[in-house]
Amino acid sequence: MPTIDAEDILEQRRAYNETLAQAADKTRAAWFPIAIMAALLSLPALQFVGNYNYLIHLVLFTASYVVMASGWNVLGGFAGYISLGHNVFFAVGGYFAGMAFARFEISTIILAPVAGLVAGALGYLIGLITLRVRGPSFIISSLALVMIFRIFFENWEFVGGAAGVALKANSLPVEWAKLPYYYAFIVMAAFAVWASYRIKHSKFGLGLRAISKDEIKSESAGIDTRFYKVMAFAISAFFVGMAGAVWGEYLTYIRPNIFLIILVSVNMVLMCILGGKGTIAGPVIGAVLIVAFNEFFVATLGASEINILATGLIMMLCLMFFPLGIVGTLARHRKLPRILNWD
Amino acid sequence: MLDIRNLCKHFGGIKAVDECSFGVERGSITALIGPNGAGKTTAFNCISRTMTPTRGEVWLDGERIDELRPHKITARGLSRTFQISRNLADMTVLENVICQSRINGWRDFFKPAMSPEEIEKAMGLLDFLGIARLAHEDGANLSYGQKKLMDLAALLMSDPKIILLDEPAGGVNPTLLEEIIGHIRELNRNGLTVLIVEHNMDLIMRLSHRVVVMAQGSVIASGTPDEVRNDPAVLEAYLGGAQEAAA
Repeated sequence: MPTIDAEDILEQRRAYNETLAQAADKTRAAWFPIAIMAALLSLPALQFVGNYNYLIHLVLFTASYVVMASGWNVLGGFAGYISLGHNVFFAVGGYFAGMAFARFEISTIILAPVAGLVAGALGYLIGLITLRVRGPSFIISSLALVMIFRIFFENWEFVGGAAGVALKANSLPVEWAKLPYYYAFIVMAAFAVWASYRIKHSKFGLGLRAISKDEIKSESAGIDTRFYKVMAFAISAFFVGMAGAVWGEYLTYIRPNIFLIILVSVNMVLMCILGGKGTIAGPVIGAVLIVAFNEFFVATLGASEINILATGLIMMLCLMFFPLGIVGTLARHRKLPRILNWD
Repeated sequence: MLDIRNLCKHFGGIKAVDECSFGVERGSITALIGPNGAGKTTAFNCISRTMTPTRGEVWLDGERIDELRPHKITARGLSRTFQISRNLADMTVLENVICQSRINGWRDFFKPAMSPEEIEKAMGLLDFLGIARLAHEDGANLSYGQKKLMDLAALLMSDPKIILLDEPAGGVNPTLLEEIIGHIRELNRNGLTVLIVEHNMDLIMRLSHRVVVMAQGSVIASGTPDEVRNDPAVLEAYLGGAQEAAA
């Protein structure tokens, strides 16, 4: 029988305290997000030495999904309400800013925060209704929302119905044409990540995390669960709406079938689940990986259904080994590299 | 202090709580006992508004609270625990406890999740209950008894005036039970009013000042532990006489 002496216990306690300290240590990795930001902000300089429009498009595309997935994460990750209908806010933001751009020529980049607020206000109202149910019922209600809005936008003549509205492309030379949108999305992505960090570390975030675990307990703990949930819904709609605003002008048209397809909202969900729902770095990692998988398989397997199959397969394998998402699982085993510990 | 008047809760045809009325005096430890299915937990749930009562009124310090939402009731100073500890997994014990600290309006939302004062207060409470060393463990990893203690600490975080404890001794070993009894006594000595649902007669008789006995949804007796122990109606309810009469 092994003997336990005091030194062993002290040694174990020291090791335990060290893991706690490591989990709490964020200061040493602050350089990493800053370095990424610096690299991304200076990336367009490559245009001076060649044509890197494709690379810039990919980064922009990833950043747009970082904004959306981080926004979705506020409701789906923190509060635990899985919404498959967040592309509705993508559409609302896109249409609001797109129509203002088409009519009054106000840049969607300037309008993005306003479009976000419009989407957020709509999210607040929808949340008041749909957040009365949870679990599968909530997921179905969110899907119903997409269908309602799709029918609504396809039949609304003012916004062009199913054909949508063409938006004027900007007049910059082709190598610089993407840059305003590129910078807009990078800044929005950084803001979304920063905001979700702030939310997670606030009383509001603690309340949302409690709600995701046990709503009855949270309510009796003194948390106004209904208000918290609806606010989380509004905030997540705000980010998705903001991304939608700029996306329309970037594509130079707004049309129901670019916003209101299930792929958009499913992507947000998959990115959060793959990266780690409820973590700060998770949606970012998820967005980078899913965009990368997609591009890689489209390039190697062609734009047939096979690439979707391959992406799905990778997702499955990832989730077999990282059931809580990559960031979530590594953090659980205290193996998360410091550079990814943004929580 | 707490006044329950004609409380009813019906589930379809089942009258789980039926015209139940009793009061809890300030500074007392009142126990709510009764055979299984007597409606104690349902009454509890209706008081804390975890369930909506079918009918009846609940008054706390002269204010009617049965129409408030649960978090408002908590804000008025009435906190409860659950029969089966409902801890929040993936959150540390400290977070579980601080989660229940008071929030004053939406301005508090964007304050840090855990301020140094709150951490100090929570650690003080955990220390008082003897589980301070577990503060950074995941709440879900605690043993059953430790979860009960954590619940108690969380309960005290919101500075309640009255606490409702649903079977604090259920499934707890005798040593820990003594500890819990000691804690409840000490809290009560410091002015906290306690309403407790419990099966453990030994605990009830030792701890409570007043006992309310429920059977089939209504109060059949109340008084000091000694009075209740010798009440023929209570004996009958516990020995099954009431069920036979109903059948």
